[in-house]
Amino acid sequence: MADLVWLHEGALRLTHPVFAAGGPDAATIFIWDRDRLAASHVGIKRQLFIYETLAEMSESRSLDIHEGRAEEVLPRLAAQAGAGRVLVPSSPDPALRAEIGAIRLAAPDLEIVEIEETPFVTLANTPDLGRFFRYWNKARKSALRPQGI
Amino acid sequence: MNETIPLPTRFADRAAMLAHLAALSGRDEAASAVPDIAAGGRKAAEAVLAKVDPRAYAASRNHLDGAVTRLSPYIRHGVLSLDEVRNAALASVADPKQAEKFIQELAWRDYWQRIYLAHPERVWTDVESYKTGFDAAEYDAELPADIAAGETGVACIDQFIATLVETGYLHNHARMYLASYTVHWRRVSWQAGARFFLEHLVDADPASNNLSWQWIASTFSNKPYIFNLENVAKYCGPDINTIPRHNLVLDQSYERLSELLFPYMGGPHG
Repeated sequence: MADLVWLHEGALRLTHPVFAAGGPDAATIFIWDRDRLAASHVGIKRQLFIYETLAEMSESRSLDIHEGRAEEVLPRLAAQAGAGRVLVPSSPDPALRAEIGAIRLAAPDLEIVEIEETPFVTLANTPDLGRFFRYWNKARKSALRPQGI
Repeated sequence: MNETIPLPTRFADRAAMLAHLAALSGRDEAASAVPDIAAGGRKAAEAVLAKVDPRAYAASRNHLDGAVTRLSPYIRHGVLSLDEVRNAALASVADPKQAEKFIQELAWRDYWQRIYLAHPERVWTDVESYKTGFDAAEYDAELPADIAAGETGVACIDQFIATLVETGYLHNHARMYLASYTVHWRRVSWQAGARFFLEHLVDADPASNNLSWQWIASTFSNKPYIFNLENVAKYCGPDINTIPRHNLVLDQSYERLSELLFPYMGGPHG
């Protein structure tokens, strides 16, 4: 079955690994949820920036913006696209993570796979996040190398 | 089953797209003026990235007219990855150390995102207690109307607010001044200020924004961040009004400001 790429506002580029995972023919959607945007304090200026970026992406790849709530829209669009798998860029945003959890409950047959962003640094252990410089002291060597390797 | 019709992506101009978005959000008044914000899209991002000079950035980034990159909206929305921005910076210098300050700033973004994933609750709640001598309950939960309107009567602060609202962007140093004024001069909770920034900044990210507000407030740092008019004048250049009589509450020594702003510091509260 085909894959469906579900983009969100933190991964707006065609070179994101989610597209390599889905292949060139995977349909791509962005769900414009005005209530979630409002709850996340996304003002009209940022909305314009996001929409301009999506519009440019849609010039070089099939990408549709759909209005509504992800829990309702995504299962319907996946069925329409004949997709058994939804690929979504991973995100720390708890609102998005809650949406993914809700869809998994509502549509258990729909597989949702989170695709990681290209890493910035490679760390052997989970870093101490108590203060920035504790993290930086562990990350510096990797950060100053190409690809963070 | 009903076919879902996608939203349009082609518009005559930015004003038409803005009107479409205002209608979608149910806020027609927002369509009255097209804001002067960064252009969206990968082409614009690559053009900005091509101009980055890590050495100039390191030398002058703290000044409002310094060689800041304006990459933040593109990085925040994944239009550019941290990895590719770092790789471009390294490719532009002879020695990686020449790009270290710039790459360290990229690392702040990585750091904030790691906290967001590991401890999402810290983005809206105090990581630690205020170290100002005041309890959290003593800070106003709502942003005062004069700050939202840019009518505080403190000239440089009002200029920063106007820039934020009109362009969706503020230099980092100006963000720090405005955040510090809001929390420490006006005793407003960092959450109220953080919401104001999230509403207006095109690069707004809950983790980077809110945890930086907590750094200013002292709920995620060892002491409150304050500044004075002399510091504003040093970094902001002639476009910002730093005439003392127009900025009276900022025109003090750091010692005097500490006494005025934090009279109970070191007392029973902190």
